[in-house]
Amino acid sequence: MAELLEVKGLTKRFGGLVAVNGISFSVQEGEILSVIGPNGAGKSTLFKLIASFLRPSDGEVLFRGARISGLAPHIVARTGVVRTFQETTIFKGMSVRDNVITAHHLRSRATLLGFFLASRRAQADERDFARSADEILDFLGLGTIAGELASTLPQGHLRALGIAIGLATSPKVLLLDEPFAGMNHGETRRAVELVRAVRGRGVTILLVEHDMPAVMKISDRIVVLNFGEKIAEGTPTEIQANPRVIEAYLGSADESIGL
Amino acid sequence: MTTPTSKLAALALFLLFAFLVVPWLIAVSGRSDLYYTLTSVALLSIASAGVWLTFYIGRINIGQGAYALLGGYVSAILVTAYGLSFWLTLPIAGLFCAGVSILIGWPILRLRGVYFAMVTLVLTEVARLAALAAPLTNGAKGITDIPPPGPIRLFGLTLVPDFATLANPRQAFYFAAVVLMVLAFAGVYRLVHSRIGQLCQSLQQNEELASSIGVNIAALRIIAYAISSFLGGIGGAMFVAIAQSIYPSSFAVTDSVNFMLNCFLGGLGYVVGPIVGTLVLYFGWDLLFKTGQFQLLIYSMILIALILVLPNGILSLVAPRRKGS
Amino acid sequence: MTQIIVNGLYLGAQYALIALGLTLIFALMNVLNFAHGQMFVLGGFTTYTVYGRLHLPFAVALVASGLTLAVVGALFERLLFRTVIRRSFREESTMLLAAGTAFFLDAVILLLFGEKQRGVPKIVSGVLNTDWLIIPYDKIAVGIIAVLLIAGFMAFMQFSRPGRAMRALAQDRVAAQLMGVNVDRYSMIGFALGAMLAGVVGGLLVAITGVNSGIGGPISIKAFLMVMIGGAGVVGGAIAGGFILGMLESVGLSVLHAYGDITYLVIFAALMVFLSIRPNGLMGKPWG
Repeated sequence: MAELLEVKGLTKRFGGLVAVNGISFSVQEGEILSVIGPNGAGKSTLFKLIASFLRPSDGEVLFRGARISGLAPHIVARTGVVRTFQETTIFKGMSVRDNVITAHHLRSRATLLGFFLASRRAQADERDFARSADEILDFLGLGTIAGELASTLPQGHLRALGIAIGLATSPKVLLLDEPFAGMNHGETRRAVELVRAVRGRGVTILLVEHDMPAVMKISDRIVVLNFGEKIAEGTPTEIQANPRVIEAYLGSADESIGL
Repeated sequence: MTTPTSKLAALALFLLFAFLVVPWLIAVSGRSDLYYTLTSVALLSIASAGVWLTFYIGRINIGQGAYALLGGYVSAILVTAYGLSFWLTLPIAGLFCAGVSILIGWPILRLRGVYFAMVTLVLTEVARLAALAAPLTNGAKGITDIPPPGPIRLFGLTLVPDFATLANPRQAFYFAAVVLMVLAFAGVYRLVHSRIGQLCQSLQQNEELASSIGVNIAALRIIAYAISSFLGGIGGAMFVAIAQSIYPSSFAVTDSVNFMLNCFLGGLGYVVGPIVGTLVLYFGWDLLFKTGQFQLLIYSMILIALILVLPNGILSLVAPRRKGS
Repeated sequence: MTQIIVNGLYLGAQYALIALGLTLIFALMNVLNFAHGQMFVLGGFTTYTVYGRLHLPFAVALVASGLTLAVVGALFERLLFRTVIRRSFREESTMLLAAGTAFFLDAVILLLFGEKQRGVPKIVSGVLNTDWLIIPYDKIAVGIIAVLLIAGFMAFMQFSRPGRAMRALAQDRVAAQLMGVNVDRYSMIGFALGAMLAGVVGGLLVAITGVNSGIGGPISIKAFLMVMIGGAGVVGGAIAGGFILGMLESVGLSVLHAYGDITYLVIFAALMVFLSIRPNGLMGKPWG
């Protein structure tokens, strides 16, 4: 399996605070890799750095060998590295279907002028987007609510919509920001299946999570952060047995590590 | 729910009204001065449409007066110094304004809210100062004695007659202005309802998300701003053709503020909002002329009252909130 | 050279006062007070009436200007802005209202005072005449008063109870409410205070350069420029912006004098470049 995404010595300083310090790891094509760690470990910052919403103070992120860190976010998206957001971010004023149709932007072959004049290529694009959007919505179980206003959706559906938006961009790597947060047992089970199915479509997945059972169940490999540094990397079994990981989690008050 | 056919019907009705009913009413009542009023409303609403479009990408534009002035000067200079046909200078003025706006928009469009509004306000004032100081513009004396628009001849056919030969040039200007207005608003309408409009919405609703799905938000903003300034430019150019003169004070900060007011009052959620707003504000101002020295006072009090009572614009009374806010 | 600097400082002090008023209103209510220039003019005319026509002492006139504008500001907030802020879907409606109030004050000023340029007798006569500096005493007096007012304002905001309440409100509206700050009352006080500052500067400057009904708009624009340079919503930014603009004007007037009215063109072009690098001004809080 090829190394799709490479994080090399990534460091981010905010004034005197070092949020992320010299983190390196790589993501293989087709795998599901999770980044975990206690609160404040730097997971969010790492994510934003990889998706280029933040500039690194040091180090770089490579996609297929080419540097993507420090590029404008929309250009990074164009290379195939796409991020979903923590706060179930969607386009609130649009319908579910329109959210996904809009997200097909990277697939347009017509120009803006073409869309304005309704050129043949633009019309073909619009048909293509509509078809693709319907397919993605059905795949994620949102087909029945396609016409609803996005802001009215319950949390579970919002989360799925966020993934739908990500899928519409035809990503090579999808960065999922806490996809299981706030879900109950049944919802998590379904979400895990969904993420697996997304990977089945050929999307490499990098996710950040707190929900340990889900992470252990779904990940091929896990990277553990603490205080902005990588303290462990390996398969779920290896991580669960790693003494440094256990110590990091016993040191913080909240999570169990799903043993 | 409005269907495409009902919208076309509304448009047809409007054209009928504007091109047949209004001239007939004016002829019957003898109020030919209304031609000038309505022409002004049409042209000012074109400039206001530009401001409306800037709202659509989430920016408060109080600088449209600068582009109206710029467009007016471009047209005036090209006609008087280079003898170009006015109709040719019209798109040139628009394109020139679009070009300048790209240069200005690039640094300022990343500003938001009040900051952007302030910069655009200052822009209008700067345009006036530039007009005073620049060599081409003849300074404070302005450019006067601009000849009326010439004919448009294509393949030996006279599509548009020479305005100097017309018995009723006011009516001709009115028709021209209305045609321009319909074209401008049709363009904005199409823009908003096309995928471009959807992309602008995405920009408005969630900038970060739009970025992450590959939308070049900086470029999209600049494009919208360029179109907006284009509209300001042609509005200004057309105005100059009617006034047959232009001075550095022809479009001032007050006009920029008025363009914004027209949009607000008409309702920012509606493409035709600027037309309604301009109509109300312009006619309102004109009607109050009889109150003499109290004109501005009463005008401003009514304006304030309208804002208090209808903070979401006039059209929010007659139509439910539709897309675009 | 010293002449330019002193001139710049004098102008800067006045401008800083204007910018402080504008920035206070913005910080508290996210409202850009379009009518700020008109409030300045109203202050000037009030002092003209009290000192110039009624021949009361200048200090009384300044107080009158301050109080008049404080009342105007309070009324604007209480009767107009409070309602619109509550009822509108869009925050820009307040901008519309602010524009309306600017027109309104323009109309009132025209009706009450007419179009003519008005001035008042000098408050201190005589000129300080040294080798390296020529400056009339009244300018020095006005400059000193302005600086004292700036210091007083900052002390008030820093140490007094209303000042602290307003600063809390400006920083975090919700948190301030939770701590028991009466948002309505302090919004009104803040607006009144901001307006008062504009009025007092108007009163000060009418004694130097006079006032007429037409300069309201241009003064507002200058105020916006200052806030853009220094950053909106921050006291330090307003003062910095005020002094910077004062300096720039002073330099521009003497250096660029030969080229006509392009001082502001140059300032604006420089501002464009500056804003590309620092969009929120020197110290401003980002919008939204």
